[in-house]
Amino acid sequence: MKRLRDLFHKEESSSADVARERLKVMITQDRMQRHQPDFLPRLQQELVEVIRRYVHSDQDDIHISYHCLPQHSQIELNVSWPRNNS
Amino acid sequence: MARVIVITSGKGGVGKTTSCASIGTALAMQGHRTVLIDFDVGLRNLDLVMGCERRVVYDLINVISGEANLKQALIKDKRIDGLYMLPASQTRDKDALTLEGVCEVIEQLKQDFDYIVCDSPAGIERGAVMAMYYADEAIVVTNPEVSSVRDSDRIIGLLDSKTRRAEQGEAIRAQLLVTRYDPERVEHADMMSVQDIEEILAIPLVGVIPESSAVLKASNQGVPVVHDSGSDAGQAYSDMVARYLGDDKPMRFVELERKGLFSRMFGGRR
Repeated sequence: MKRLRDLFHKEESSSADVARERLKVMITQDRMQRHQPDFLPRLQQELVEVIRRYVHSDQDDIHISYHCLPQHSQIELNVSWPRNNS
Repeated sequence: MARVIVITSGKGGVGKTTSCASIGTALAMQGHRTVLIDFDVGLRNLDLVMGCERRVVYDLINVISGEANLKQALIKDKRIDGLYMLPASQTRDKDALTLEGVCEVIEQLKQDFDYIVCDSPAGIERGAVMAMYYADEAIVVTNPEVSSVRDSDRIIGLLDSKTRRAEQGEAIRAQLLVTRYDPERVEHADMMSVQDIEEILAIPLVGVIPESSAVLKASNQGVPVVHDSGSDAGQAYSDMVARYLGDDKPMRFVELERKGLFSRMFGGRR
């Protein structure tokens, strides 16, 4: 029965699979935020303001990520901007 | 040494109170002196599920505020020896519950009981933190459904940070109880499997309770479903408690029973 059903439904993935994948993404995000310090959003905003004073980057070109390593915590900052009009 | 267990979930309506009633009852059936505490201030329900709502005189907050002593507030179960419950307040405001007050009550109960089972309110606010703060162990009740699993993960996060054990740098033993499980829908890939949930939440599985009409029937009557030893849910709860106490019981009710042609044609859905 199941194999017969699979034959017809092969195209779409099952709703349980979709649920599992969505949960994995959500929970990874949740867990990352759980260990972040409270000041992070404010720091992030201020860093973006400072950077934009010097280079014409879009908000989307500035990536800030927080890493919790066993020995210490780390903030990683990546900024990119177009070559010609910097 | 008395153990404090919190039954928690984050999301409401997943079966915390039902589970609390049956787990407590099964522990007492095994001969352990057990007390259940309802922490759901304002929305008490454990007394209803235990069938002792008409015998509530004093509650947890009366005890904390000194208006009654523990002996006056504890309700003795009519069916099982060594089983008691401490109801939540129906009317008083939630701020009456303080960590110091709860600590005092739990320390007193530890003198008299082997297991103190705390029924947590839904949510991740004050009430839920109160219920889990003094716990040695947690049973995280989860439905095979996205919002329930996500909320359970947040609760596991709180267990690891907002409990006394966590603050003292000790781990709290958290175990997963999946409720309202429907193997047929899992088979059809419309429901996440126990393995999926276990993998996502990354805590050990202690039991699976199947979706069962016996649960509603039991709460209608105010008799914990574990008393209904003929029912699938009742058996699943007693298995779960046996497993919790260290028995090596295989999981039942997780695989779809293969129906014969006859019952397929005439049996319908149970």
